[in-house]
Amino acid sequence: MGIKLEQKHLFGILYVCLAASILADVVVKFHGQAEAQAHTAFLWQTIPGFSAIYGFVGCVLIIVVSKSLGHLWLQREEDYYEKH
Amino acid sequence: MIEWVHPGLIFILGALLIPVLKGRWKKIYLLLLPIVALIDLLYMSTNRGVFWRIPLLGYELVFGRVDQLSLVFGYVFTIAAFCMTLYALHVKEDGQHVSAFLYVGSTLGVVFAGDLFTLYLFWEVMAFSSLFLIWYRKTKASSEAGFRYIMVHIFGGICLLAGIILHVQNTGSIAFNSFNWGMGWDYLPSYFIFLGFLINAAVPPLHAWLADAYPEATVTGAVFLTAFTTKSAIYVLIRGFSGVEILIWLGAIMAVYGVIYAVLENDIRRLLAYHIISQVGYMVCGVGIGTAMAIDGSIAHAFCHILYKALLFMGAGVVIEMTGRSKFTELGGLYKYKYMPLTFWLYMIGAFSISGFPLFNGFVSKTMVVEASAMADLPIVWLLLEGASIGTFLHTGLKVPYLTWFGTRGKAKEPVVEPVKEPPKNMFVAMGITAFLCVFIGVYPQALYGILPYPVDYNPYAASHIIAMSQLLLFTFVAFWMLRGMLHGTPTITLDTDWFYRVLGKKFIWFCEKPLISFADSIDEKVRRIADSFVWFSKNPPVASRIMMLTVSTVFLRPFNPNPLYTRYANDLEELRKLYPAEVHRLAIGSGVLLVLMFFTLYLIIYLTYGVLWV
Repeated sequence: MGIKLEQKHLFGILYVCLAASILADVVVKFHGQAEAQAHTAFLWQTIPGFSAIYGFVGCVLIIVVSKSLGHLWLQREEDYYEKH
Repeated sequence: MIEWVHPGLIFILGALLIPVLKGRWKKIYLLLLPIVALIDLLYMSTNRGVFWRIPLLGYELVFGRVDQLSLVFGYVFTIAAFCMTLYALHVKEDGQHVSAFLYVGSTLGVVFAGDLFTLYLFWEVMAFSSLFLIWYRKTKASSEAGFRYIMVHIFGGICLLAGIILHVQNTGSIAFNSFNWGMGWDYLPSYFIFLGFLINAAVPPLHAWLADAYPEATVTGAVFLTAFTTKSAIYVLIRGFSGVEILIWLGAIMAVYGVIYAVLENDIRRLLAYHIISQVGYMVCGVGIGTAMAIDGSIAHAFCHILYKALLFMGAGVVIEMTGRSKFTELGGLYKYKYMPLTFWLYMIGAFSISGFPLFNGFVSKTMVVEASAMADLPIVWLLLEGASIGTFLHTGLKVPYLTWFGTRGKAKEPVVEPVKEPPKNMFVAMGITAFLCVFIGVYPQALYGILPYPVDYNPYAASHIIAMSQLLLFTFVAFWMLRGMLHGTPTITLDTDWFYRVLGKKFIWFCEKPLISFADSIDEKVRRIADSFVWFSKNPPVASRIMMLTVSTVFLRPFNPNPLYTRYANDLEELRKLYPAEVHRLAIGSGVLLVLMFFTLYLIIYLTYGVLWV
């Protein structure tokens, strides 16, 4: 029970952090023009929450692409090199 | 004037005394050497220039080139050596300490080498001394991996040597400065040297030695290995090839390559080893971009990487030391055991650092390289490097701790394994110091920026940086939590480019030993028979030629048998064969002289008609 409650709290904190990071991004992008522009090189950096989307999509892609590469091609049984 | 001692020499000569000392004194001595070297370095920084010039065979060897670039690497190598020695202080075998110190010393030799011969000398010592850190594990796997490791490095060393010799022949100078770069045969020496450097920097496809050998090293040896070989390669790349464009792409691909392989790994240290490749990718990329900020970023990242990667390997080492296990399929749920929460949190400081969390050292160095790629207007490189950050946090920051300290043993949900022994205290002190340094540089980056070769005009703690990095990492966590079921370890190994020498190489050796050798044997046999027949013939040429003629005649006449001629020939042949070589017909000595004279006359005629004209 104690662990469950703790995990719930942790996830509460996580949700707050997620929301705060997006919110802060919006604020900086629209109200801190000068500061934000100084650090913008690419078009996508002007989209609020781009990093969030990239982080999520990138993570899913890394897991799915690597796992399929592994299953289809690269992963072998542990004694592969003894046998071959 | 030489006013200081070469810091590499402190380690190399210092190593010789290790086996003599005993007990407490040895421990004090081991810790004292890196401190002495660091003080020496600080003293050197007040007096820069080129020292320790030794003339040799018309060339001048330079052992001490002291400038800001070599000093930064010198600092971090010595600081790391102190932390790592502390971590390895409980190790009883003197050999391990000696090889570690030779390894550190030779790396410092590489860093301060001002000419190519000195560089090559220390380069080779580095390869061979580090080999023993692998072999001291004393398992079959480690001895085989060590053997492959040294073979690759010998190959790299030969490439370097070939390049150096060609370079010296072309330019007449052995000075180690920036090499010419371009396309074509004229740049062949540079290509060879470049290849030698790339092998030590573990740039794919020449990287497999790292992920193959490091996880097989001893617990404490692996910590040493993480720092020196790859980062000294970054140093020499900065010296020799900064701004070479191909490095940008090699680096960016390398950063992602390591991440992809890390997903598939089941061994805790092999996963971390693939992240060395990934992190070195940032540095290689920075060297390729070659702007002041990119070079600073590469150096800063090398500095930070040495610290946090050592910390991560130390954490993994404690787990291996305590449980005797290193595979995710055999680990899990360790958090509830004694010392494990401490190990976990110290490890997490390393994990936050490598992931680039704000307030940890990875954040202040990695973002410099990423920012430099943005300023050089390289969108694809930028995306690849940011993508590698995601993967880094996913594995080092989430997968490793989740599967080691929490969770269950893979899908089987078996009970967790209890630690079998208590770890030595010095391991934790070493981890504590390293963790402190990681946080210190993260919180106070000016300490690091102040010692970089170029002035740093970069503020990592701009609001947009912090927000972008926080979003990236937080949402990586969300994706991880959703897909965590897919990330359990599987009892497999992953094929990498070492397949070429481990499987194809073996097949090639088989080809040489079996088909090629039997082919050679058959040729040999045929030649021997021809030679035999000459010997037979020369025993009595007139009779031998008569035998040959008779053989041919009987073969032709056989179809017409019975035939009196055939019978006669056949009888003659049989008799001659029986008697052969029989009595050799001898000529009088005069006939021999006559033959010689005839030969000379013939020669004279040929000489007079053609020879004179030819001359």
